[in-house]
Amino acid sequence: MMARVVVTGAGVISSIGAGVDEFEKNLYAGCSGVGPSQLLGDGVVAAEVRNFNPQQWLGNKGIRVLDRSARLLCVAAQMALTATGLQQQDTSEGDPNLGLVCGTMFGSVHSITSFDWSGVTDGPTYVNPMEFPNTVINSPAGQAAIKHKLRGVNSTISAGLVSGLYAIHYAAEFLRFGRATALLAGGVEELSEEAQVSFGKVGVLSARGCLRPFGADRDGTVLGEGSALWMLETAESAEARGAKALLEISGFGAAHDAHDIQAYRVRGEGATSAIQQALAAAEIGPEQIGCVIACASGSRTGDEMELHALKNVFGARLEQLPVCAPKAAFGEALGASGALCALTAGLALSKRSIPPIAMLSAAKDVQGDYALVNCFGCDGNNAALVLKGLS
Amino acid sequence: MRRVVITGIGLVTPIGAGRENFWRNLTAGANGIGPVESFDTAAFPVHIGAEVKDFHSEGPRGRGSQLAIAAARMALDDSGIDIKARDRARVGVSMGTTSGEPNMVERYNDARKAGGLESIPADILPKYPCNVIPSNIAIEFDLRGPCLMIPTACAAGNYAIGYGFDMIRSGRTDLMLAGGADPFSRITYMGFARLGAIAPERCQPFDRNRKGMVPGEGAAVLVLEPLDDAVARGATIYAEVLGYGVSCDSHHMTAAHPQGDGAIRAMAMALKESGRGVADVDYISAHGTGTPTNDRVEAIAVRTLFGDRAPKVPMSSIKSMIGHTMGAASAIEAVACSLAIHTGVIPPTMNFEEPDEGSDLDYVPNQARKTDPKIILNNAYAFGGNNASLCLARLQ
Repeated sequence: MMARVVVTGAGVISSIGAGVDEFEKNLYAGCSGVGPSQLLGDGVVAAEVRNFNPQQWLGNKGIRVLDRSARLLCVAAQMALTATGLQQQDTSEGDPNLGLVCGTMFGSVHSITSFDWSGVTDGPTYVNPMEFPNTVINSPAGQAAIKHKLRGVNSTISAGLVSGLYAIHYAAEFLRFGRATALLAGGVEELSEEAQVSFGKVGVLSARGCLRPFGADRDGTVLGEGSALWMLETAESAEARGAKALLEISGFGAAHDAHDIQAYRVRGEGATSAIQQALAAAEIGPEQIGCVIACASGSRTGDEMELHALKNVFGARLEQLPVCAPKAAFGEALGASGALCALTAGLALSKRSIPPIAMLSAAKDVQGDYALVNCFGCDGNNAALVLKGLS
Repeated sequence: MRRVVITGIGLVTPIGAGRENFWRNLTAGANGIGPVESFDTAAFPVHIGAEVKDFHSEGPRGRGSQLAIAAARMALDDSGIDIKARDRARVGVSMGTTSGEPNMVERYNDARKAGGLESIPADILPKYPCNVIPSNIAIEFDLRGPCLMIPTACAAGNYAIGYGFDMIRSGRTDLMLAGGADPFSRITYMGFARLGAIAPERCQPFDRNRKGMVPGEGAAVLVLEPLDDAVARGATIYAEVLGYGVSCDSHHMTAAHPQGDGAIRAMAMALKESGRGVADVDYISAHGTGTPTNDRVEAIAVRTLFGDRAPKVPMSSIKSMIGHTMGAASAIEAVACSLAIHTGVIPPTMNFEEPDEGSDLDYVPNQARKTDPKIILNNAYAFGGNNASLCLARLQ
């Protein structure tokens, strides 16, 4: 019997709020973080963490060398550590069984591009050596480990839009195999000119700057940013230290469509399979799912694919099932999306209702103890997570 | 839990592609390091690299993906598995990398410099995020299971093989393609050059006069499957994966912990998970990049963990021949470990002339050695203070 893995706390920073309480309040008030970008200017619309002031949480020490991704991640980690009483004292070495698993898609792409740009324009001997460490994709996770004395496993997971959910699964596996007792797990993504150009040039961003998941008039997505982390522990170690278990990681499923690196397989075979695997791993049937936190991001084909998959799994019940697409609130935060959606699912289970955002039907009240979180990427990677509410 | 074995090997390296070619050259002490050809190094203080010279990137995919697909194809061929006859929902991909497809960022900047943002072709940056490498493998071979990239820098290959091991062990998948890939990159080269970390002429891990590492490129993919399946189909079993250990120094982004704290914990965790002790280890495949500090710390870590037995455990670094292939390095080294177990020969540390003062460790200088190793530790260390050690064994 493998160990049970539970959630004992969270940290989040996003365009709709910093900290779980503010995130929850704004999400359930139906607020959206989509608006003009301060960071990118030039009329760009994005779900940005506005007026971001990491010193508020991290103090001034060591902040300067951290890029935006590292700052976002360090803030979310700080919140989750504090919420669970697992923050390490300044005088301690740090717990070797406490670690971090971070999902990201573009990573610190702006740091990487800027570093290369200075080499291209000024010459290779003029690049700033202090900036080189930020060019590795795992630099935010490494910086967070230094900042918060996390000496256990420190993994970065890149599975495109599915990264955040994979990171939660990866961390849960590590705990089950007994390689750690407590792991921060989730994702981070920063808004960047590079991601904006990348998605803009291939035409997947909403021309109107309007993110309408499942909407008949949807015309693309809007990029978001932020970081969300859960503290995952084995049920046994949480109980031993008297930490309250809020949720259980019940099942994970993953399936690749092996179809195209830049296009959804609209019929949703892989997405359907990922959901079915997650249900099987949780040892429940689809009738036990009380609500669905959808991946839908306003993509014409991506949202259509998800609808196919949901119909395949839930059949006629879909019309009465509470389903919402919270990216309408916090944007398509890429590698952080899965973690933000998982956090939303946890809130829905504890409040017994889904946020009133981009709902698929009128059903709002959660109909059971389990929530399904979907995460489907345009590279064909699909993942689904089943959570159980414990409160 | 199921036992996991390595039954297929594919790789592309600066000293040759394919299992037999690579192993023949590696045990002969071949040199894959020479003048950089990928870009002009005139403005750099150093000029050598470990490139794959006979591999030409063509087509729409990035070089990282192309190297990885080539390695995956060789690994599948080597395993003798008819992948089309398999339930591909039960086949997954787990890769490691330092930089993914950094050439896409380089092309982006070159285009931007030449003609501004408007001139940048639409298809460059979507190919940058490093998850495209495992996804391209999945697409190429129609693999429908879990698929992810673990970009834990220069220890990534070991992390990826470890994840593949976990997936099969727990019964989530029945076959994994696991390894690492990194293309030669101007960004990486510029960074290490600026840090003064690149050796001017050759790579001399653990030698007293070592002058640095040599950036390289390559890819390796291993086929992992349950022992029972491998036996049932009469597969060649190169080695068994017993376990792995990971840790974080939580000390400095680029400098190793001076006492090797994380390195020691990773090795100890790998041995514990494998149900083995330091007395059982017959060979250590060192991270051994050739920089003064890294090699010193690794030697301290091995000395601390192995105690008086340390000088009796041969430890070599194949980076002396193939350079530092970044995220591919520990995957290529895992191949070397598997073949050492399979053939009974351990590869040498080339360019080794003089030990550090007071050092009594056995670095297998300049000549491959017949030692018949049964249990091997494969060490890998990375930026971010990431450490990963993999324990491989001859099937018992």
